[in-house]
Amino acid sequence: MDKISALMDGELDEDEVSQLFSRLKPQGEMRESWDTFHLIGDALRGDCCLSPHLSQRIAERLATEPTVLAPRRSAPKRVNTYVLSAAASLSAVALVVWVAFSIHPLGPPPQEMAKAQIPAVRPVPATDQIASISDLSARGNMNEYLLAHQGFSPSTAIQGVVPYIRSVSDSQPSR
Amino acid sequence: MNKVWPFVVLGLSTANVTLADAGDPQEGGAWLMKIAHASRHLNYSGTFVYRHGNKSETSSIVHYVNSGGGEFEKMEVLDGPAREVVRNNDQLTCYLPKSKTVIIEQRDVRQLPVLLPERMPDILENYVVRKTGTDRVAGYDCNVITIEPKDHLRYGRSFCAEVHSGLPLRSRTINDEKQAVESFAFTQLSIGGKFNRDMVKSKYASKSHNWHIDRSALNVSEKTEDTGWVLNNQPPGFKKVTEVKRSIAGRPGTVSHIVFSDGLSAISVFIESMPKERPAQTMVHQGAIHIYTRTYAGHMVTVLGEAPAATVMQIANSLELRTHAPLPNNGSHPLK
Repeated sequence: MDKISALMDGELDEDEVSQLFSRLKPQGEMRESWDTFHLIGDALRGDCCLSPHLSQRIAERLATEPTVLAPRRSAPKRVNTYVLSAAASLSAVALVVWVAFSIHPLGPPPQEMAKAQIPAVRPVPATDQIASISDLSARGNMNEYLLAHQGFSPSTAIQGVVPYIRSVSDSQPSR
Repeated sequence: MNKVWPFVVLGLSTANVTLADAGDPQEGGAWLMKIAHASRHLNYSGTFVYRHGNKSETSSIVHYVNSGGGEFEKMEVLDGPAREVVRNNDQLTCYLPKSKTVIIEQRDVRQLPVLLPERMPDILENYVVRKTGTDRVAGYDCNVITIEPKDHLRYGRSFCAEVHSGLPLRSRTINDEKQAVESFAFTQLSIGGKFNRDMVKSKYASKSHNWHIDRSALNVSEKTEDTGWVLNNQPPGFKKVTEVKRSIAGRPGTVSHIVFSDGLSAISVFIESMPKERPAQTMVHQGAIHIYTRTYAGHMVTVLGEAPAATVMQIANSLELRTHAPLPNNGSHPLK
């Protein structure tokens, strides 16, 4: 813990810094998934909230801040400045962490999220078992099925009643 | 104070990782949630065009949320035969004046799809969501949010979301060849302003009393049921989200309805007793929707969803009854 705060204050030498970073890196990747999901959750509840650009803006501000990873002997005035800006960054990040935890206290642990993988693609039966795929309007009425299906489709969650046009469609060729 | 420092450092490394990525997935995901939120919570009215294949249809739409959070919508098709869809919270009513028919679909609000953050991991597992640019639709500036599938089992999407509200002004479903198989796009739109309940009432509401009424409803049992049907080759990424026995407007008897979803697309399986006239094996499509009909073990199976033909077919062809007990003679109920 002391090492991290020493790192923040720029009091470590180069070897110690790189050692510390290599220990933090895997956790950092974990945090990315964690933060992503919670920022999204926040956006949905939507009510407030953190801008989607927040992390970018923090990153941009950090980029303009002085580099403090190099070992330094003494620069009392600059240290003061840095402590202030670090405090500013801290409050921003602490806000993210606090919002994330208060929204989703029982969410899945980050390890589980990190484990998410692309599933292996299994062979798919070829469509040529069917002679041809004809247009729905040429075949019987499927509107009731479409209607029953639409209520469960995430597209309804995203677009409201708009996709229901499919279930009452009687489309004419484009003019 | 010391306890907080690790969060600071971790936060910094997160920011750096984010900056290094070309398209920001975090921003893309947040926009997707914003789109879903705007669709449900904003008052708006406008005209949109639905295109699929070489066909198009124009409709007007009004979406109204009252002060109590009640959600009302009316969509009226402006081309061809008159048709109206009215949504009153969880009840959906279709008015088809040409055939003097009203179709009522009562939905269980607890089973309605809501784009929750809990579902985002599913979406992000199967798709890459990114903000990829800006465009202009119906006079509004909008952000293009591209959703690219990670395999060939699903379609991609592209939304253009109004920059301030997030309201989706255009949505496209994209196939393997990067072509739009279906699109919805506003041509005219007003967001906000004065709204009232009358704007979302059907003009057929009183006329339709003596029309033919078809009701469709979920079974009284509210929780997911075991219909006895399973998939032996479930397409990766698709999970079963619901399984119920229900009635379907215009269909006799009880129908087993199982829904699979990958977070963004849904595929429904309907299983019912064999009709008198044995149906032919067919695959039809309308825009992004594929519908496959087959028979299996004395049942008629209809599988449909916004997914490529091969995926719909894989689900239909891998369906089987879990147990090997004898089938009922009339085949009306799958085994328990």
